[in-house]
Amino acid sequence: MGGVLTDAELVGRALAGSDAAFAQLVSRHQGAVRGFTRRMLASGWAEADDLAQDAFLAAWRSLRSLKEPAGFKTWLLGIAWRKAQDRIRSARRHAGRDQVWLETSEAPAGVSAEDRIAMAQAMAELAPDVRACVALCLADGLSHPEAAVALGLPLGTVKSHVTRGRARLLKALGGSDDA
Amino acid sequence: MTPEDKLNALFAAERPKAPDYVFQAAVAQKMAVRRAWLTVAASVPWAVAAMACLWALQPVIAPLRDSLNVFLPTLAGTVLLACATAVAALWLARTGGRVGFRR
Repeated sequence: MGGVLTDAELVGRALAGSDAAFAQLVSRHQGAVRGFTRRMLASGWAEADDLAQDAFLAAWRSLRSLKEPAGFKTWLLGIAWRKAQDRIRSARRHAGRDQVWLETSEAPAGVSAEDRIAMAQAMAELAPDVRACVALCLADGLSHPEAAVALGLPLGTVKSHVTRGRARLLKALGGSDDA
Repeated sequence: MTPEDKLNALFAAERPKAPDYVFQAAVAQKMAVRRAWLTVAASVPWAVAAMACLWALQPVIAPLRDSLNVFLPTLAGTVLLACATAVAALWLARTGGRVGFRR
């Protein structure tokens, strides 16, 4: 097990100038960050991946400001969250393009295209902070405290956002109101 | 399939496959471009300082002007070529990012 470096060790090496160490951090966390930005933007994966790249670049530039290297993932998701907020605020959403992307991308097995569109619409209707809580806790498996740190929200707010967001999504997928 | 199952399946479908070398290369390339710009930016104060030194040394250099005139065209050409190469390298790095590495 000695071959696998922890995030804290990789951060330390990256701070010492190792690009290889930072590349390992990118490799390790790209799935979580890209999944998060995809769920936050829901306007095509290319834009979300571009945002994720910007988040990694910002993390690399401000790595020295990271106080707890072990919390790299949470810190990184916080950067992605702030960048996503900026993008959501400034972008003119192209509903037509989003619809085309949804209709042309493949739904997973057992899920109809209608369900996929209903889910995307329900996600888009959630407030950005509710959507972020849902994306981190339900989709990426972060704990409520981790999500609270990443998003800079009180723990109670995160819990209520997750509960409310989950209920809205399940309802859109055919569940009952109190799902 | 229950709504809960559908929700989990849709979340899982959005999760990118790992490892994704194209994405990792794109991040590395953006880092390299940023580093190149930082290097250029860091050299600006030195260039300004060198110009200031030359200006301050003008009284000393002026008497040597005639002999320096022989080398000036060569020196100017070399500096111009170096600047053009640096600009072209930065431009290529940025263009390469747009053409080859985005997803």
